[in-house]
Amino acid sequence: MRALADLWAAYGVTLVFGAVNAVFALSAYAVLAVGVLSFATVVFAGIGGFLSAQLAGAFGWPFLAILPFAALAGALAAAAVAGAFLRLESHWMALASLALVLIGRVVALNAPALTGGVNGLIVPLRATPWELAGLLGLCALAFWRLDGSAYGLAARAVREDAAVASTMGVSPYRLRFAATLISGAVGGLGGAALAFTLQFLSPDTYFIGLAFTMIASTVLGGAFHWSGPIAGAFVFTALPAAMQAVVPQFEDVAKGLVLLAIMIYLPRGLIDPRRAALRRARAHG
Amino acid sequence: MLLFAAQLVNGLSLGSLYALFGIGFGLVFATLGVLNAAHGAYASAAALAAYFLIDRFGTPFAVAGLAGVAVGGVLAVVVDQIGFQPLRNRRSGMLAALITSIAFWIILDSLFGVATDQQSLAFPASSYPQAMLALGPLKVPTMQLVNFALLIAVATGVHLLIEATRLGAAMRAVGCNDVAAALGGVNARMIVLVKAFLAGATSGLAGVLAGIATSNVSASLGEGLLLKGFAAVVVGGFDDVRGTALAGLLLGVVEVFVAQYLSTSFRDGFTYLILLVFLVVRPRGLFGRDSVVRA
Amino acid sequence: MAEAALLALERMVKRFGGLAAVDGLDMRVERGAVHGLIGPNGAGKTTVINLISGLLAPTSGAIRVGGEDVAGLAAEAIAARGVARTYQNVRLFPGMTCLEQVMTGGWLRREASLLASFLALPSARRDGRRARERAFALLENVGVAARARDLAETLSYGEQRRVEIARALASEPRLLLLDEPTAGMNAQEAEAIGSLTRSLSAQGLTILMVEHNVGLVTAFCDRCTVMNFGRSLAEGEPRACLDDPAVREAYFGRKRDADRMQTHG
Repeated sequence: MRALADLWAAYGVTLVFGAVNAVFALSAYAVLAVGVLSFATVVFAGIGGFLSAQLAGAFGWPFLAILPFAALAGALAAAAVAGAFLRLESHWMALASLALVLIGRVVALNAPALTGGVNGLIVPLRATPWELAGLLGLCALAFWRLDGSAYGLAARAVREDAAVASTMGVSPYRLRFAATLISGAVGGLGGAALAFTLQFLSPDTYFIGLAFTMIASTVLGGAFHWSGPIAGAFVFTALPAAMQAVVPQFEDVAKGLVLLAIMIYLPRGLIDPRRAALRRARAHG
Repeated sequence: MLLFAAQLVNGLSLGSLYALFGIGFGLVFATLGVLNAAHGAYASAAALAAYFLIDRFGTPFAVAGLAGVAVGGVLAVVVDQIGFQPLRNRRSGMLAALITSIAFWIILDSLFGVATDQQSLAFPASSYPQAMLALGPLKVPTMQLVNFALLIAVATGVHLLIEATRLGAAMRAVGCNDVAAALGGVNARMIVLVKAFLAGATSGLAGVLAGIATSNVSASLGEGLLLKGFAAVVVGGFDDVRGTALAGLLLGVVEVFVAQYLSTSFRDGFTYLILLVFLVVRPRGLFGRDSVVRA
Repeated sequence: MAEAALLALERMVKRFGGLAAVDGLDMRVERGAVHGLIGPNGAGKTTVINLISGLLAPTSGAIRVGGEDVAGLAAEAIAARGVARTYQNVRLFPGMTCLEQVMTGGWLRREASLLASFLALPSARRDGRRARERAFALLENVGVAARARDLAETLSYGEQRRVEIARALASEPRLLLLDEPTAGMNAQEAEAIGSLTRSLSAQGLTILMVEHNVGLVTAFCDRCTVMNFGRSLAEGEPRACLDDPAVREAYFGRKRDADRMQTHG
């Protein structure tokens, strides 16, 4: 028991942030799974996060009551963006989503009533580790179901070859729209989770750094199965913490090096069902 | 009226930095297809190298600046060969390129923080021309004119290089289709290295000058330039140096005037709004010929 | 009155910049027929398939499927009207098993909603089971049932082609477009494909087949269209088409020229 408490004291913070990052990574995975590269999830997270902070601070709502609204706000924002962006060619869409993130920060800076402006916003509510674990568990369950359902099969088809998928009656646009909505909802949840973990939000919270970390974690863990983003997020969060003891000051460098190594040697990420299946086939062949 | 003129010069000077960075960025933008998150680090590294030489060895400014530019170029080549070359060999696509660039962004930013002890550094005032020059009734800091002059020089030079030399033709060919270029006798590998060096060097120059202009050599220096330079490339047209130069100047002027006459907290917002509009409505920019980005 | 022609192309034109890949093509495919589309390389055959399936929109002209003009509709809308296809270079989805490929092909035959599938409701589970059984049966029909749970990309080229056909059949189409289905196959395998098309046609399916193998066309097609330079040269029974002087010229050159070459050695 004592050992567990010590372990928690040492690594609890890491696990908590790992869980929050895992929710974010899943929201990035939602769109990567249909072949869309977009940074806009961070904007949906910001909307969910600031809304949650206001609901907790100004109205005193509890964690569980706030979550559905954070998800809803994120999904609505996603719906607004998807219509305009999904018709763009993929490179330009990715960059437009980046521009949206940049604009989002300026908006956050200039809406002090909602976001506290340049001074930021203090969040009076703190989510307990169990609440965060429950949130992550719920999201994981949802993605497990998505991957294993008809939607998951259609998503893989659109991602691998959208033209061929369309000749089978699958509408790539509709599927990507749905994926963006899911990414918005989960992003909103992640935004709320982050707000209730950091307990302080600023216009820089939901910005490029978070966007890059989200996507990097997902690709690191593997964007071909729902367990990949979760694994990637925990690795990405735990690595610097673990390295701090070994190479202080260079823990982030270590993180970057691991990411680089994965991109060179295991570009499909740590968890890849296809790689595993091919290996099995070779073994039996 | 005098304030207007002063702010105009201010804007042109700031825009020159954006344009210089953008020219470097634009050289490799099309081949990567998506943002190179590490590109800003070349600028920061150049500024840091120049600062280091001036601070430790009292090197004269011009020499230190040139050294910084070279450092930017070399760093770009290193990143390209370690990170992007394997992707090119595998024809990996834009997601892989992005994540690799993020990896380098993390590494370089972190190393930068360690090297500067997380402090932001300022070039000693004595190291660069401080005097104000008189343009009629207007007094303008020398460095602002230097920035503008350097932009014109570099933009002209790079434009002539690309349009009027065999090396430039080879660079354009490789940018379009490296296999076809190689079949045509171009040493594609060499060209890629030259392009990378040029990209890092130009952005490095922007970094050194920005370090002086803002009295702030830090990792955020590169990031700020990256975002604005990227905007200049999109708005101006990523395959035309003149377009990038003009767009950079335009964005600099717009930013200064928005800050002056509207509100300082909106200064970036206008720039990014223009960027977004172009991305959605006219991705090839004001002067671009091609609206297709290969990756 | 039901149209005898399930598929009719009327003055079909497709330009890419200045080049007309299809240049005023008229074609009629009878209901229930196996119809061959032949012609030299570059004649525009694959472009025709791409136009019919909706991956390309025509510059002008009409594409009538069952009497309805579908020109310019999105590919998924055309698929919903009972059109399925295979590809010249086999385009199976990487990372999916053979079973999954065919189940994806059966997307339009799903009865349960996406939401029901997500919630794993009993109706959706039944639907999924049915889809799996149908997919298995189709794989059996084409002779690759033993590899159903293997990654499709681990199968031989010939087997992959057959999986692709099974995938196309999964949507229970009324018009099947086959783009060079026997390319890279030996005589035996090609024969098997030919027999398969005949048996499918006997069950009421209309098949349009781009084919290079003239022997196969004569053996298995009811009618054919010969194309060159984006236009139709001849349409009718295979023997009659191949005897057509314009067709012979397209393939073999002019007799006068052949004679002259022979004289001068």
